[in-house]
Amino acid sequence: MIRSLAPEVVNQIAAGEVVERPASVVKELVENAIDAGGRRIRVEVDAGGCERIRVIDDGDGFLPEDLPLAFASHATSKLSVLQDLDHIATLGFRGEALASIGSVARASIRSRRHDRDAGAEIHCDGGRIGEPQPCGCPTGSQLEIRDLFYNTPARRRFLKSPGTEKARIQELLAELALARLDLDLTLVADGREVLRLPAGQSLTERFASCFGRELARGLLPVERAFGELRVEGVIGEPDLARRDSKLELLYVNGRQARENSAVHAIRQAYREFLMGGRFPIYALTVALPPDQVDVNVHPRKAEVRFLESRKVAGCLHETVRAALQGRAAAASAGGVALAPELPRARSGFPDLPRDLFGRADGGAVPEPTAATSAPPVVVRDGADRPPFGHKSATQDPAANPDQNAGPAPAARPNPFARANGRFLQVHDLYLLLEGPDGLLIVDQHALHERVVYERLRAEHRARAVTVQQLLVPTVVELHPGEKAWLLEVAEDLAAEGLQVGEFSPSAMAIYGVPAVLAKTAPERLLRALLADDGADARPRLREQISERFHSMACRAAVMGGDRLTDEEIAALLQAASTLEHPHNCPHGRPTVLTFTHGELERYFRRRC
Amino acid sequence: MKILCDRTQLQEAVGVVSSVVPTKSPKPILHNLLLRVDDEGITLFATDLEMAAKTRLDAVKVSRKGLLLLPAREASALLRELSDPTVTMDSTDQRCRIESGGGSFVLLGEDPSQFPEEIKLVSNKRVELPAGRLLRMIQESAFAAAREETRYAINGVLFDLAAGCLRLVATDGRRLALSYQNIDAAQAEFKVVVPLRALTTLSRAIPEGSKDPLQIAVGDKQIEFTFGKTQLISQLLECRFPDYEGVVPKAADTSVEIQKAVLESALRKTAILCSDDLRMVKFEVGDQALRITAESSARGRADVSVDVNVKGAGGSINFNPDYILEALRVCQLDQVRLDMSDDSMPAKFTLGESFTYVVMPISGT
Ligand SMILES: Nc1ncnc2c1ncn2[C@@H]1O[C@H](COP(=O)(O)OP(=O)(O)OP(=O)(O)O)[C@@H](O)[C@H]1O
Ligand SMILES: [Mg+2]
Repeated sequence: MIRSLAPEVVNQIAAGEVVERPASVVKELVENAIDAGGRRIRVEVDAGGCERIRVIDDGDGFLPEDLPLAFASHATSKLSVLQDLDHIATLGFRGEALASIGSVARASIRSRRHDRDAGAEIHCDGGRIGEPQPCGCPTGSQLEIRDLFYNTPARRRFLKSPGTEKARIQELLAELALARLDLDLTLVADGREVLRLPAGQSLTERFASCFGRELARGLLPVERAFGELRVEGVIGEPDLARRDSKLELLYVNGRQARENSAVHAIRQAYREFLMGGRFPIYALTVALPPDQVDVNVHPRKAEVRFLESRKVAGCLHETVRAALQGRAAAASAGGVALAPELPRARSGFPDLPRDLFGRADGGAVPEPTAATSAPPVVVRDGADRPPFGHKSATQDPAANPDQNAGPAPAARPNPFARANGRFLQVHDLYLLLEGPDGLLIVDQHALHERVVYERLRAEHRARAVTVQQLLVPTVVELHPGEKAWLLEVAEDLAAEGLQVGEFSPSAMAIYGVPAVLAKTAPERLLRALLADDGADARPRLREQISERFHSMACRAAVMGGDRLTDEEIAALLQAASTLEHPHNCPHGRPTVLTFTHGELERYFRRRC
Repeated sequence: MKILCDRTQLQEAVGVVSSVVPTKSPKPILHNLLLRVDDEGITLFATDLEMAAKTRLDAVKVSRKGLLLLPAREASALLRELSDPTVTMDSTDQRCRIESGGGSFVLLGEDPSQFPEEIKLVSNKRVELPAGRLLRMIQESAFAAAREETRYAINGVLFDLAAGCLRLVATDGRRLALSYQNIDAAQAEFKVVVPLRALTTLSRAIPEGSKDPLQIAVGDKQIEFTFGKTQLISQLLECRFPDYEGVVPKAADTSVEIQKAVLESALRKTAILCSDDLRMVKFEVGDQALRITAESSARGRADVSVDVNVKGAGGSINFNPDYILEALRVCQLDQVRLDMSDDSMPAKFTLGESFTYVVMPISGT
């Protein structure tokens, strides 16, 4: 017999998608608080949120007459008509979160609007919504969730230990916090304050509060505008790379969101600097008109889709690549620009201007009157506000006068350019050098590899592009999308020596390949470009070419175990002093380890 | 089984079939040779499942018939080391005792019934030609086949028999080598691709210049070469071979005749100054002269001019010198010819009476 499900059951099932664990409850509640204009948000959790979660905000509060609807599904004040979905400027929009949470826990809301004398309170217990009652409370809202999953034991069993759940909540809040520097956020777990993020911190400061000072030291600020699209934030020095991708933080219009081609494009930009299996760290936000992005593609809103994903990926790639190259270029320029008193080149980056990642001033908070006088169902802010929490520097140069000049790419100087020429080879593998900042230990193979690689690359760049023609065109069957893309970029590819053309409605033909890649199977070359979805065609092909130089350089370089004469070492260091990227071998392994004067002194207790 | 036979003959027979034994196989039984002893002699058989070799040894004194598996590597190494003119082999229960010149060795075999069956090829598509001639054809073609083991590369040589002419063709997509031979009596027709490995194995079994007949038989999925008492069977490659006839240029704007030795030496000298990553030399054909140059910003420049016979307009074209040098290495003519047209059109080298080589140039963009 087929029966329709009781609404409570429907909500419980839906809750499975929205509410996975305590951290997802916290996420929804904090996002609601932000949407309500809260500036000061306090999160309290007991036993990792399994027993109790409380989120207190100083936002607009609920209209008392809206309270009964709060726990109803598909009830939202944030959108009314379908078209609104095309330009969502709030974090919530489905009207699903509270209904889902209320169906799997004992939830309550107390709230007072600033223009009312009294507040009201409502309970929802496993989906049963109570009657609103008047109560006294400060302005804003306070949501309390007890006994999560008490009525769905199966889900309860999937919860991890309270410690793990607490850690996830902390991570999540930190990630949210980076997108909104204008918020004052506090996390209290089991009565102890574990995260305290005052409003107005710079992105770097906030990064430091959330993830530690060590990491925050190696952050490079970036900012680029590409027409309506803006990319800004911080990227980590390659040597901060991690074994997991937890600190790859991407935000779209103030919302943390994954988008595969974007993530991939950023990783590609890092590739030359990273060892395999390492992930860069960054916190980057993409700001673009809301109609350019679909946020409604994932039940927990964890993913977004871009209307023009290639373009976005291209902009991210370009921003990151330029910053990494810029840092290297400034380094090889001699490092004179660097203040000599810096203990380590990578510390002391200029702090980010405050409004890069959210407004430090009051601008992001909507005028309260606008919301109160509006009909109960509105799209908050609509189009008049720049994409979530951002105000672009180009629109408001006064807010940050030196913004247009752009932060000078801070850079690590080429250590070999400044070494004093004294060296020692040890273990037939390492070179010890005396640099101005301290002691350098060099891996002779890695450094030589970099030298050969840059020479090959320079030689390649200096000569005309050559094409090994193919006897018979190689025909490659493709997806219509892949084919359309190839046709679009055919000219770019030809400029690098890969000649492709349309063969049939479902296939492309390769007529010639770059002569330096003549030994690679043409189809494999083409497929490698396609697999590398995300970045632009030409850089991708160039990467394939560089790949060949990598392996040639590796074979040509001196090995660990080769004893070098003083003349050879001097020649190697001489060649290294003009390197574009002296710090990593082409595979991303470090070439040099530095012990600064300070570090040596601390170690030998010459200074504390 | 128990036999007495000539050591050298046995060593040769074991050597022939051992050439197909895989060095590392997840199926260890394939590391063995199968010996079948009947009243008249021994049949030796080995396979790696893609290829199988079989040979026959008749000058054997058989005391006891039987089947036996012998570990191939140990057996051939041992036979090579022994010095007595004869050996006796005596096996019971998968253990084989080999005795020769006062030494006694026991090799542990495996259960012969577990060994893959010999393949019997049924086919009426047969041709015969002198073995030494096929060896040359293989040498003149196989070098141009793709070496890289990718899904897209053809690691084999096309055997195309049609209208009484057998053509062997190989290409890696950048150059193509074609060697042919008229076989008047041939009625059959086939067009199959034979894996390089089989041809390398076969080449090793044929002495240079041998006039002895060699038979080729082609079935649906296999090809069989019979040479003397030895047979080699190989699976065919299932792939689409490009239309080679369309690729060989029929006409040319410029023809150059040049001494093979002169061309080879000029190329070797210029190639030294190519860069490692871009192997490219430039041919400029002028008035009765060929100039070959190479340049690398890191190494320097080479410039060699040689006298040649030129017919036609002349012009210039770039090649990977390695492609030409590899072909010259198997060329037996004193005088070779280059026919070329445009710097982006295929160029044709005539390197033998029945040996044609087509190379695609390197062009600018
Ligand atoms: N802290 C709060 N202060 C004021 N109003 C709130 C608060 N939390 C929720 N609301 C109101 O309750 C409604 C329902 O919230 P809910 O989170 O269920 O849906 P939503 O945020 O609109 O969409 P989503 O399901 O995508 O989060 C909101 O639209 C908003 O009007
Ligand atoms: Mg919400």
